[in-house]
Amino acid sequence: MKAPYLRAFTLFYLLFLYSPILLLPIFAFNDGRVVAFPLQGFTTAWFAEMFADQNLRIAAKNSLVIALSVATLSTVLGIFAARASVRYRFPGKAPLMGLIMLPLVLPEMIVAMALLVVLLSMGIPLSLFTVIVGQVLICTPFAVAILTSAFQSLDRSLEEAALDLGETPWSTFRLIVLPLVMPGIMASFLICFTISFDEFIIANFLGSGQPILSVYIFGQFRFPAKVPSMLALGTVLVCFSIILLGFAEYMRRRGIAKAGGKDSGGFL
Amino acid sequence: MTFSDDRPTMIEFKDVHKYYGDYHALRGINGTIKAGEFFSLLGPSGCGKTTLLRTIAGFEDISSGVIMIDGKDMANVAANVRPTNMVFQSYAIFPHMSVEENVGFGLRKDPRSKEEKAKAVAEALEMVGLKGYGKRAAHALSGGQRQRVALARALILKPKVLLLDEPLSALDKKMREHMQVELIKLQRQVGITFILVTHDQEEALVMSDRIAVMFEGEIAQLADPETLYRRPATRKVADFIGTMNFIPAEILTEAGDKVEVNAKGLGHVALDIAQAPEKTGESPVVGLRPETLTLLYDDQKAPERETDGVIDEVIYFGDMTYYDVYLGGTDVEVRLSMRNVPGRPVLDVGTKVRVAWSPSALVLFR
Repeated sequence: MKAPYLRAFTLFYLLFLYSPILLLPIFAFNDGRVVAFPLQGFTTAWFAEMFADQNLRIAAKNSLVIALSVATLSTVLGIFAARASVRYRFPGKAPLMGLIMLPLVLPEMIVAMALLVVLLSMGIPLSLFTVIVGQVLICTPFAVAILTSAFQSLDRSLEEAALDLGETPWSTFRLIVLPLVMPGIMASFLICFTISFDEFIIANFLGSGQPILSVYIFGQFRFPAKVPSMLALGTVLVCFSIILLGFAEYMRRRGIAKAGGKDSGGFL
Repeated sequence: MTFSDDRPTMIEFKDVHKYYGDYHALRGINGTIKAGEFFSLLGPSGCGKTTLLRTIAGFEDISSGVIMIDGKDMANVAANVRPTNMVFQSYAIFPHMSVEENVGFGLRKDPRSKEEKAKAVAEALEMVGLKGYGKRAAHALSGGQRQRVALARALILKPKVLLLDEPLSALDKKMREHMQVELIKLQRQVGITFILVTHDQEEALVMSDRIAVMFEGEIAQLADPETLYRRPATRKVADFIGTMNFIPAEILTEAGDKVEVNAKGLGHVALDIAQAPEKTGESPVVGLRPETLTLLYDDQKAPERETDGVIDEVIYFGDMTYYDVYLGGTDVEVRLSMRNVPGRPVLDVGTKVRVAWSPSALVLFR
């Protein structure tokens, strides 16, 4: 960054990116229902209101259930797909992997509508379960992408060495492969969790009006009186995200240090 | 350089073929490896030597043929139950484990007590010269140390056969030479059959009891190092192992156990049939190693035959000098090597010289 305008551009970019988010906690602690400057004094009333909201609690619980299920399922499916794509050669591999990754670029709205039509015509009632199924479809490509790179960096002769030393294919997977790709598994899990947690379109289409956090927040914004408590919720979620990201990075670095690799990239 | 033939057979190949799709990687491998032998698979990259090693370990299936280890057909025996252990080219040290966890990995299902296993690990580490390194993290080791850990990890299981896949190729020259000697010593100490894959002919000659030279999925010659060097079976083997001069020749008569040839620049030579390996249908050449040719100084007399020549090139190596010499007024150029002993000056380009040679050192390829 030698040129001063590059520095200014970077600064502007970061400001544009993060200043709206910084407004969240400011207004979450602002003692006034209208979100506008000047600030009117400090309060924690909005947080109290938020925690007292029964529906919000149900929505948060539902979202947590969905996100944990989606992250687990996507990561497990991702392990299978990534392992197969890195280790084995089979006919139709390239188109197959392409189809698995396609939801990454497919408009989510189209996916959600198509799923809705199919589920309704099959007579399957909409529930949290249908949301999970839909979101797994969206999250699996992310899991596959992350885990493929994790499996690729694994030296194949490590597995052969374990086999050679008397282990079965399964115990080799458990003792050698799994520990070494664990940082990738953690990363995949956390990213899928985050994607699922704030996913709106599928949650809205396939949730059948069950309270789900993203849909609930969207709904609450129609009532001006609810906005400050939603900002309080936003603040909590931002903190939650930062903690999650910090934990993911810690795990990643620990994984690298353990395996003695060279640190390259990462989030923080 | 003798290896007793009366030792029992450890590994036997019977017409082993391996296809990768259309690619014919192993084309009818036959041969035996004796118990306690230091055996090398030598060849250029892509010749199938590593594939053959991996079929012994059980990492590759064979398309047809039979591989027997210690009298048992390995057709349906998985890699994890074969009586072989392998030292990988990358060493394949488990990075998330300590040195002793790596070495003791194969003892996981061993019924012995924890203390006995720990003792076995300590002994294995001591054997490879890594006493006291047990607690170290595997990734903190140098290349040579990783190599030793890989050796200890494989040998602790007391396999019938130890497979070594280019184990020294990642080390620098000094370390490589050092490890060559250590490996030979170790092999003698444990008495296990070692099978080494290498593309380095010098390494194979130094270390092995017997060597199989492979080209394009076939064993071109299987012999002890000295036979391989002095009596290569084909021109290709001769060219791959060390340096050899090839001189165009004409076969005059072939009767009984004598072959008489006229080699360009050398003249008429009568060869024993032992000096003429099986016909391959090439145009006939005789081969001569550089060290079997000697420059004669002043009034030195050749013990057997001599030929006039002119020095075309001088390559000085310190302890040795290589001379490229045109033979007897022809366009046949040979390379010969002379030790630089005191009182023997390095000669200049253009010097007229006499070259001494011995008919018994010749090999005829035809």
